Amino acid sequence: MSEFFQTFLNPGVMAESSGLLLRGLWVTLQACLIVVPGGLFFGAGLALAQTLAPAWGARSLSWGVDLIRAFPPLVLLVLIVHGLPFLGIEPPPLLGVGIALTINTSTYYGEILRAGILSIEPTQWEAARSTGLGTMATLRHVILPQGVRNVLPDLAGNTLEAVKLTSLASVVALPDLLRMARVAQGVHFNPSPLILAALLYLALLWPLVRLIRRLGGRAVLPA
Amino acid sequence: MRIFFDPEVLAAAWPGIRSGIGVTLGLALTSIAAGVALGLLLATVRALIRGAPLRPVGGLIAAYADVFRAMPPLVLLVVLYFAAPFAGIELSGFMAAFVALGLVLGASAEEIFWAGITSVNRGQWEAALSTGLSRGEAFRRVVLPQAVRLTIPPLTNRAIATGKNTALASVVAVPEVLNQAASIQAQTASPAPLLLAAGVYVALFLPLVRIGRWLETRFHIR
Amino acid sequence: MSDVLELRGVGKTFAGIPALRDIHLAVGASELVALIGPSGSGKSTLLRCCNRLTEPDAGDVVFEGEPVPAGGAELASVRRRMGMVFQAFNLYPHLNALENAALAPRRAAGLSQGEAETAAREALERVGLGDRTSAMPDELSGGQQQRVAIARALALRPRILLLDEPTSALDPELVGSVLRVIRSLKEDGVAMLIATHEIAFAREAADRIAFLADGEILECGPPAEVLDRPRTERLQSFLSRL
Repeated sequence: MSEFFQTFLNPGVMAESSGLLLRGLWVTLQACLIVVPGGLFFGAGLALAQTLAPAWGARSLSWGVDLIRAFPPLVLLVLIVHGLPFLGIEPPPLLGVGIALTINTSTYYGEILRAGILSIEPTQWEAARSTGLGTMATLRHVILPQGVRNVLPDLAGNTLEAVKLTSLASVVALPDLLRMARVAQGVHFNPSPLILAALLYLALLWPLVRLIRRLGGRAVLPA
Repeated sequence: MRIFFDPEVLAAAWPGIRSGIGVTLGLALTSIAAGVALGLLLATVRALIRGAPLRPVGGLIAAYADVFRAMPPLVLLVVLYFAAPFAGIELSGFMAAFVALGLVLGASAEEIFWAGITSVNRGQWEAALSTGLSRGEAFRRVVLPQAVRLTIPPLTNRAIATGKNTALASVVAVPEVLNQAASIQAQTASPAPLLLAAGVYVALFLPLVRIGRWLETRFHIR
Repeated sequence: MSDVLELRGVGKTFAGIPALRDIHLAVGASELVALIGPSGSGKSTLLRCCNRLTEPDAGDVVFEGEPVPAGGAELASVRRRMGMVFQAFNLYPHLNALENAALAPRRAAGLSQGEAETAAREALERVGLGDRTSAMPDELSGGQQQRVAIARALALRPRILLLDEPTSALDPELVGSVLRVIRSLKEDGVAMLIATHEIAFAREAADRIAFLADGEILECGPPAEVLDRPRTERLQSFLSRL
């Protein structure tokens, strides 16, 4: 048993690599701070566009969304981070990761928000129209406040997925938590940093999972 | 623009990517089968022991679902591939990816089946038990068929997500589509192989994503 | 007497089935016109054509001497001056009574927040709910909810109210409170077009009654004339079944 601890939870190694891991954690948090607000922002735009567009417009948007969803997030990430330089565009790594993952996650936020909008009875639209409220005012003051509340668990669930997604950044050499753990493992030739990183992810995300449960969330977010 | 669709590079890349398609499909299908089976097994156990003295087992199953919902699949894969050998467990890249994807899907599937089962009205259990069916029979003949209907759209979506997550296996050197494209790209210094791979993923998954969307509206789960 | 609202030859067809045919009807200032008729006779559709929640496909709707515009800010402006009350209230469940009534004055009529709340408060007092301004819709009885809905329309100081079976969704003991409010609005000179099944109320409060069947107005006139001396067989049998 103590041999197990020496190998996988070695206190010395963990202490020595903690600086590296904290730097990685900070990069992971920065990525989250780009991807979650960005995804919500563009997702909201997508949902509004689909709501306001004429039928053919909404249909083409839904095809566009599905086209993006057909890419594994890692493929989208590699394509953008390794493909853009061939176009002469070389964004800083964090921004490249942010763009790719925001594109991916905003399609999910968009669909969730759209479902929220659609969950509101047409009679609410009619009541607002009958008092002369315009479309945007109706959305902002009548439809969205109710619709967002209806899909709060799904929004939280997608936020969980977005945070998990940021671990992909390690693949394109962004020094995030997972990447730094790999580096530390290489330095010490000991897997403790990797285990510590996994535990950090759990510590970060377990409360979110519990929160989603409390909200009555489902595990059934779209793919 | 030509550099993105260089026909020579594309022709040279195609055999590798074609063999990658086989690996991607093989990994996807085995992980999905294992994950769904695991989820169904755990949800069934949890349903049958409800209220029985074995209740703590139900808590363990719920904890498993929570942990693997909180754990990024790539982190799990990296731990399995790079840390497990220190415990004397040497997994090939393919096996590590299979186990990681299967465990993650198993957690979602358990949750989805469990949600389906608990959504079936208590009265259905009682009606079945009152006619003399055993707990197991009541579950198999009455509850499960109703639960499955509710589980099909979300389960399809999680299965598609698992299929897409096979791209993670490129990190542990499994020669699937993305891995093949990346190594050819490294040799040719051209983005064309990546674009070809992207096209392959779209061809594989766009129809599935459309089907998933159709199922969601069809079964109207909201 | 100039008419507030006039329908000239209005028609509407749903999926090939005529819902309204050649409707001619006018509501004068301070006048209360009741629409009666069996369910599905087109009463709702007629009301909804007035503010174009349903788009009529024939004829004209004229409001204060001008045709009701097809859309845009002009239509929104007409809708503000044409209050509508729905059978199922359609209150905003996330807003309290005051906020329900103040939303359109603030966001559609462009009043300041203070002015909008004053208008909303006055409207709520007028329907007898001055003491429930902070109640959420689900804390109110059906009758109270419908009175909030009336206040929501009144807060915009409309020239006419369109009421679509305002008491049909209410428990019998709550109907009286809503009808009392409508009567008091009539005394204040608010023009109203009201679809209703409350024949006794129509007889006593309406200036004119229009009987609608299969999308057509078969009879229209003062209550005594329409209710006591029905000329058509349809109206006779409708009244005899009550």
